Amino acid sequence: MIHIYTKRYRTSRARGRFPAALLQYATTLVLICIMLFPFFWLIASSLKSPSELGAIPPIWWSAHPSFSSYITVFEVIPFARALLNSVIVTVCSTIGILVTSIMAGYVFAKHHFRGKNLLFIGVLATMMVPQFIMLIPLYRMMNAFNLTNSYPGLILPNLANGFGIFLMRQFISGIPDDLIEAAQLDGASQWTILWRVVAPLLRPAAAALVLFAFVFQWNNFLWPLSIVYTQDMSTVVLSLNSLRTYTSSITFTNIVMAGTAIGILPSVILTLAVQKYFIEGISMTGIKG
Amino acid sequence: MQIQARKTSAHPIATAGFLTPGLGLLALFVVVPILLTAWISLHSGSMAMSYSQLQWVGLHNYTIIFQQSTFRTALINVFLYSAANIVIILPLAVLLGMFLQQTSIRAKNVLRTVLFLPYMIPTVAVAIVWGYLYEPQYGPINQILGWVHIPAQDWLGSINEAMISLVILNVWQTLGYYVVIVVAGLTEIPQEYYEAASIDGASWFQQQLYITLPLLNRSLAFVFVILTINTLQIFDPVYVLTQGSPVNSTDVVAYQMYVTAFNYGQAGLASAMAMVLLAVILLLSLAQLRLFRSI
Repeated sequence: MIHIYTKRYRTSRARGRFPAALLQYATTLVLICIMLFPFFWLIASSLKSPSELGAIPPIWWSAHPSFSSYITVFEVIPFARALLNSVIVTVCSTIGILVTSIMAGYVFAKHHFRGKNLLFIGVLATMMVPQFIMLIPLYRMMNAFNLTNSYPGLILPNLANGFGIFLMRQFISGIPDDLIEAAQLDGASQWTILWRVVAPLLRPAAAALVLFAFVFQWNNFLWPLSIVYTQDMSTVVLSLNSLRTYTSSITFTNIVMAGTAIGILPSVILTLAVQKYFIEGISMTGIKG
Repeated sequence: MQIQARKTSAHPIATAGFLTPGLGLLALFVVVPILLTAWISLHSGSMAMSYSQLQWVGLHNYTIIFQQSTFRTALINVFLYSAANIVIILPLAVLLGMFLQQTSIRAKNVLRTVLFLPYMIPTVAVAIVWGYLYEPQYGPINQILGWVHIPAQDWLGSINEAMISLVILNVWQTLGYYVVIVVAGLTEIPQEYYEAASIDGASWFQQQLYITLPLLNRSLAFVFVILTINTLQIFDPVYVLTQGSPVNSTDVVAYQMYVTAFNYGQAGLASAMAMVLLAVILLLSLAQLRLFRSI
């Protein structure tokens, strides 16, 4: 009942408020076109032949679209290896962040001890610190332990994630204390309560965190750029940059664009599949913090 | 006794055990490195030297970087970049947020998705695609401008246009994220306010001016601060597209720090640059928060 009520209520309000429906459709259409144009150009260019890429004025859609550049990109650089590297780094980082964030978030939400608030403010403060402030000592640290150009070197610094702890704390705070107390009365240990009672309720927050963490690691450029120095340890984003640098001629654009299209695919699919959780995550941490 | 019982954890081992991994990682990979950056900034030495080999020089590195005209240019450039982004994104985010909140057409969900999508894809990929869009001869932007009889521009190749080209790229990529924050703020404004206002005869425009904007204060402060923090860090598009050229017009602090550290190996100077930018970011965000609180 409530749902139906709000829906009808919103429609009538909107009709009265924003000028003319036609104008709204036109604005929406124009904005969608502007936002999608770079994606269109990305796909269109990847399908063009070398001579079409060098045409002046530019040709928008190939006369004979060809997917051959999507094969060539795997031949000119070890792109399959880069995809594998990115998957390994991203999956390990994401799992690590999820587990440590749930544990710390639970303590911040449900345990009480001296200095908790101060500690939590400290966690929040780490979220504001730009990545490159830590870059030089982190590089030297990895160098000292011989971890440059390795998976542990790529993964370890990513695991420090204040945002994850914050998100989990916000979400776990909303879980009723009664639930935890009931489990305690049944004799459950804190470990059991966390993973058997609390964790199963965290699905929306976990989804948001997994996606944020996954996308952040997949997209990260600065850290791999700093510690990777061989092509076989390259991540996808790193190989895209080298691909562009090696192929300065406009006629190779189709290969660069094909690589780019493959490289953004995981982020695009994840965003489209679960954008609801992303937006919830932003709303939850962005405003109520 | 009772107070103390409340202050100490009922499960001290679980509390400590659950906190240690998360906080330990933050300490090791965030807190310690920040302190080390500050420490290295007071020393002279190369990236490869151990900490004991570094030579104490006090604030000398800071004196040197501020004497370099390239660093001062990079600092000014990053301020301009940040200011331009704020001036463009803040009003657009509010307008689009209001638009998304107040229209009832179906296509608005598509719009919200495509606005948000670029924010989630790698900035390097965005930079690569925009590099080709901006291409003076082979790119579509100059072609489209030609249709409305605007002469072809040099974009990334021009001293005057390179920076604004990077700004446009960033607006396209990140606008949707800020719109989401504004929409979240708008949904928290009680509808009764608008009903009361329209009964009193307030126009749509008056309602936005006197109800929406003041009550959106907190969201706007958040957008303002995050925008400042994010834009002052710009690195990826500069590294991929311009490397600071033409003639230092897109040289920014993070890029210069990276080059100083990893190409020239001067850890002390690079750390001083990092500390200056951190100080700028901290001061600006604190000032902005205070400004918004006083409004």
